[in-house]
Amino acid sequence: MKRGDSLYRRLLGWLLLPLLVLGSLILIQAWVDAQRTADRAFDRLLEAASLAIAEQVQWQDDRLWLDLPPAALEMLATDAEERVFYSLVDGQGRLITGNAALPGDPRQGPGDADTLLYRHIDWQGLSLRQGVRRTRLEEWRVREPFEVRVAHSREGRDTLAARLWRANLTMILAMAALATVGLLLAIRAALTPLTRLRRAIRARDPRTLAPLELSLPRELAELRDTVNELLARMRRVRANQERFIGDASHQLRTPLAGLSARAELALRHDDPARWREALVAMQATSARTARLAVQLLSLTRLANPEYRPELVPLELNAIARQAIRDHWASCHRQGVDLGVESAGGEVWIRGIDWLLAEAIGNLIDNACRYGGQRVTVQVQAAPPRLVVEDDGPGIPSQRRLLMLRPFHRDREDVEGSGLGLAIVDGIARTHGARLKLSAGHDGRGLSVALQFPGDTP
Amino acid sequence: MNRLGRLACRGLLLLGLVGSPAVAEETLNVPAAPGSGPGAALVVHGALDLPQMRPLLEGFHREHPDLAVRYRNLTTLALHERFLARPDEADVLLSSAMPWQYRLANEGHARALESPAARRWPAWARWRQELFAITFEPIVMVVNEAVIERFGEVRGHADLLALLERHAEALRGRVVTYDPATSGAGYTYAIEESRLSPRYWDLVAALGQADTALAETTGEMLEGLIEGRYLVGYNLLGSYARERLADQPQLRIVVPEDYALVTQRLALIPRQAPHPAAAARFLDYLIGETGQALLARETPLGAIHPAVEGPGTATSLRQERGEALRPITLGPGLLATLDDLKREALLARWRREFSRRGER
Repeated sequence: MKRGDSLYRRLLGWLLLPLLVLGSLILIQAWVDAQRTADRAFDRLLEAASLAIAEQVQWQDDRLWLDLPPAALEMLATDAEERVFYSLVDGQGRLITGNAALPGDPRQGPGDADTLLYRHIDWQGLSLRQGVRRTRLEEWRVREPFEVRVAHSREGRDTLAARLWRANLTMILAMAALATVGLLLAIRAALTPLTRLRRAIRARDPRTLAPLELSLPRELAELRDTVNELLARMRRVRANQERFIGDASHQLRTPLAGLSARAELALRHDDPARWREALVAMQATSARTARLAVQLLSLTRLANPEYRPELVPLELNAIARQAIRDHWASCHRQGVDLGVESAGGEVWIRGIDWLLAEAIGNLIDNACRYGGQRVTVQVQAAPPRLVVEDDGPGIPSQRRLLMLRPFHRDREDVEGSGLGLAIVDGIARTHGARLKLSAGHDGRGLSVALQFPGDTP
Repeated sequence: MNRLGRLACRGLLLLGLVGSPAVAEETLNVPAAPGSGPGAALVVHGALDLPQMRPLLEGFHREHPDLAVRYRNLTTLALHERFLARPDEADVLLSSAMPWQYRLANEGHARALESPAARRWPAWARWRQELFAITFEPIVMVVNEAVIERFGEVRGHADLLALLERHAEALRGRVVTYDPATSGAGYTYAIEESRLSPRYWDLVAALGQADTALAETTGEMLEGLIEGRYLVGYNLLGSYARERLADQPQLRIVVPEDYALVTQRLALIPRQAPHPAAAARFLDYLIGETGQALLARETPLGAIHPAVEGPGTATSLRQERGEALRPITLGPGLLATLDDLKREALLARWRREFSRRGER
């Protein structure tokens, strides 16, 4: 089995994929959060250090003066031993003192309020976090603006962020593991009824067609019901087949028994004239039996749903005329008037010529046998139809459908197999045509129509 | 020269001592042992006199005979300026000017040393893995026994202050200390002491009252003390005093009991060092147990390594003085020492306190 073909894997994949995407998003968010938290915590150091320095700024000897408190620098270095930089810059941007010419606050502030800016800078190849405090000296006569710029390297922040993130990571991974385990169990539990169904089907007797009795969740219950419907259809088909076989063997047994009886009777006599008479009769019976066997065979073949003969374009008028030619002589002998009514132009359908000839033959034969005096084969163009009409007694409309069943005969007094219409029905289905039985012209007799698919107006 | 002759006899080591007063530069060359590949060299710039440096280099050469070592002895100022002018010349910088060394490392000029010894090195004696303190040298007082006989024991700063205040006339002009205005070391001690206690300023005032002489180097002070010009020396480098006064029983070295500053010589490997691997080996040796034991045994510089004991080592001094020892912190506070305005402010205060005499 291919990997993707497992329902279990497919479910797992489609459930884990969003989980994975979600997990990654949460991880990224946790990382950003951890960095932000670490920055917030460490920015307090920048704030405190810059304030401690700003408080020491004085006006002395007509210039800004700073007595740098070492503690202000020391508070910028934590256990992570950060590199520390500071500078004091006056209002004109001149460096008063400091150990690094750090960049200033690019914003053009009003200069009155005490403003503080935090940002990341790259300074001489070092990645630093900088705090710029812009303020002014508030002495009696001097209002001198200045900037205190402090910066330190990021080791402490990175360590804290990594620690926060690791703590989050552990939790997120634990949650993901729990979710995955839960998912596996849930899928397994959800697919259990499928296993039960499989086991139930496997455990069945292959010959039985009894419905599956199994309580299942809704989605699988539908599947079970569909299977049960299929089984029911198969039961009906098998019943039909059994009846057909029974009928067929019965039909074949009768003439064979007749043959046997006739032969036995003839053998009691010594007169060759009797023998001859018996042989003639036996030949007629065996010919009929052979025809019955042929009909049974073609019916069996037509009833097979797998039977899909190739259809070729045919001209219906030609088919009808050929049928008339084939059957005219025998009808004439019985005193039946056989005629044809062709359509105006050519009527093309897709079909198999010998099957259509068989169908027309069967219909003509039936019409003659059941008392028709006048049988007409009609071809109509739109839609393409082939109609055989007689002026016999006809069939009441409520019994017409029964006529299509094999071995059903309307009247027991007439000799016949009862397969004719069933075969025509099979041929019609093979052609995708509709078989329609109706009363004949002005309510008399029977009209059997084969309506082919095609140019339906 | 005895040692030099012995080494020359061994034929392993050639020591070249080039003293050139014009450039004020002393160098010491230790060539590689014969048969070692070319190019294996090491250039050390240090502010450490040759008598102290020589045993260390010899010890290093014994362990790594394949390296040709060139040691250049410079003043702390020259060393710093030379590095800024040519940052790719030296493999190891060794200096007692703690703020300058710290500043170089802070600005990212130093290369990290990743080795087991570096990781084991006490946290208070290093900064990141870039700056390593390799010596432990207390700042001491030197007192003539005559003063002790006459005025009693001087055990710490409080005693000194009391002595100066009570007997200013007797000691007038007989006390000596660093001039913070001309000596970098003196300035560093002043700033550290002023942070430790506000009473430092009383001491400065008392020193001024006693007309204290101001010197530029420990050596200068020691000479004056030995000659008897001075009776009390304040804030001398303990390591130098210990060596110089070994045969001067009339002068007593006092490691103050209340607090004693401890200065450290800092070593770093420049980022652009031409032979970083050799530099790492040398620094590893300096902070390794062998190097530190040698440093404790053969030089007056105190060893830091916790496993090394003996007179002058950090371990012994701590047992002796405990909490009173105040090693100068390796931290950003040192940057404040280098701030020009800070320096001006402190020196102004110092001068003011020192000359307060007239007001009394």
